[in-house]
Amino acid sequence: MGIMLSLQKVTKIYPGAGHIKAVNELSFDLEEGEICTVVGPSGCGKTTAMKMINRLISISSGKIIIDGNDISRLNTIELRRSIGYVIQNIGLFPNMTIGENIAIIPKLLKWNKSRIDEKVQRLLEIVNLDPDEYRDRYPKELSGGQQQRIGVARAMAGDPPIMLMDEPFGAIDPINREHLQNEFLKIQEKVKKTIVFVTHDINEAIKMGDKICLLKDGQLVQFASPEKILTHPENDFVASFVGRDRTLKRLNLFTIKRAMKDNPPVIHQDEIIETARNMFSKTDIRYLIAVDGEGTLTGIVDKHDIPDKATCVKDAVTPTDAWLTVHSSLKDGLSEIFTHDYGFLVVVDDSKKVLGWLHTEDIKEMLKG
Amino acid sequence: MIFRIGFQLVKRLAPVFLTILFIVWLYTYYGAWDYTIKNISEFFRLIFEHFALVVISMFCAVLVGVTLGTIMTRKSMEKTSSAIMAVVNIWQSVPSLGVIALAYGFLPLIGFSGIGMVPALIALFFHAVAPIVRNTYAGIESVSKDVIEAATGMGMTKKQILFQIELPNAMPVIAGGVRTSTAIIVGTAPLAFLIGGGGLGFWIFTGIALVDMGIMMAGAVPVAIIAMLFDYCLCISEKFLVSRGVRTDEIKID
Repeated sequence: MGIMLSLQKVTKIYPGAGHIKAVNELSFDLEEGEICTVVGPSGCGKTTAMKMINRLISISSGKIIIDGNDISRLNTIELRRSIGYVIQNIGLFPNMTIGENIAIIPKLLKWNKSRIDEKVQRLLEIVNLDPDEYRDRYPKELSGGQQQRIGVARAMAGDPPIMLMDEPFGAIDPINREHLQNEFLKIQEKVKKTIVFVTHDINEAIKMGDKICLLKDGQLVQFASPEKILTHPENDFVASFVGRDRTLKRLNLFTIKRAMKDNPPVIHQDEIIETARNMFSKTDIRYLIAVDGEGTLTGIVDKHDIPDKATCVKDAVTPTDAWLTVHSSLKDGLSEIFTHDYGFLVVVDDSKKVLGWLHTEDIKEMLKG
Repeated sequence: MIFRIGFQLVKRLAPVFLTILFIVWLYTYYGAWDYTIKNISEFFRLIFEHFALVVISMFCAVLVGVTLGTIMTRKSMEKTSSAIMAVVNIWQSVPSLGVIALAYGFLPLIGFSGIGMVPALIALFFHAVAPIVRNTYAGIESVSKDVIEAATGMGMTKKQILFQIELPNAMPVIAGGVRTSTAIIVGTAPLAFLIGGGGLGFWIFTGIALVDMGIMMAGAVPVAIIAMLFDYCLCISEKFLVSRGVRTDEIKID
């Protein structure tokens, strides 16, 4: 993996108004396929920094290198066509259909028609909108979330190695935003673009970024991975910006897999009830996890809640929803643990086969380590 | 379903049909039909002159108006454009008869004849150009800044942005200006007769002078029909010129 994007002491001075440095000697390197979220309080210069990359704003001093080329030596129009650009208010062209909107860059790049059609079709599929249904619609006929998906598809149409995104999900309601974020991360897994992602929301920055670039008054305060920023904030400003709950925020960064323990107390539901009673008497545990022949979770057996008439484990099983898949975030896991009375959570795979279990102590240990 | 479409059609066509019926009745009642038949060659000459007045002045007005309005939206013109807008706004408030009179009075001062078809055309042109300039300017200015920023950031040139984004998106507003202008010009064209510009105004004013309703109707009714015809043509051409994505007055039959 080589370095795709490199900012070297990039500075922007706006003339007048006391020569304020909107961006001051900003330097960072971004590897191919990484998402860098640029975050900071409003007026910190994050949008200015981003817009210098596609030269919507000129650089006062310093250098920006894309894939080994100094952008000041490149033709502005060609440079912009090689960088995907998504803005907060989407800016779809109202006079063009969805298909025409997506096809705009490929047309400027003079691709042939069949290649363009194919690309439009594929991109609509990638952003989860049925091509046949949406290709000939106009932007005004789409919801905000759908429009932003088209915005992302349009930015990717010219196969740019780099994408700039200026608060792309900022104008979308929280529920749809989370959905779009997840969807976008899935897309990114496939396309592996190098992305500069501007946001003012630290949670979004943590969730979306491989690297976080934290700015204040045009100065780079910290450039590091989300994990690093949450565990070792550079100074008080970073610590207060990420919030007092930064340890809880770290829970979002990990999946349950990282903290769970293997070998949970499992019992086959077709065993006779004596087996369960034996297990309870030998150990001090209160609950057993009941599974069927395939190892799939069927419920929980409570030591204090075994019916007298029970002969088989099945008779004592209470169905439960205290389970999550290994891919869920630790935050969801912790929340689930607190929701139920068992004090733990059953961890399963996608087909609901039991893999392990998770206690609050496990999470604590992991956060420490 | 069939009834609903039928009902919609009746609702839309009935006023048109009634208007036509009324005009035809007026036309025949006052004997305008007989007068026209008797003077058929003159009728065709006047129709031709009338069309020439409207079409030539409108053609030039659209050409100049859209160009000027577009130039005014360019960044380097920011300061000048407000001055031009002020002039255009004052100019538009001058009444039709005033414009004709101004041409008649002003052109001799700069060494041209104030009488004839050319002065009439000049007057009509200046009258028609104002709403087109104004709407072109307003239309392009109203294109969302986000759309322009997205287009610029994606690597479209200024020219591509103008022709592929700004003008198509401003088209409904520009078309509105053209329709306003056309309505004004079709209404003003009969006045061209007053400064020797010809056209159907000849029969209208002759009829009024002689208190002969037949002659007057022979001129007035074709003027009204021409007005409707132009409006209808513009309506149709808008369907082709204005993208469905930016049309606002979509009439849906479902």
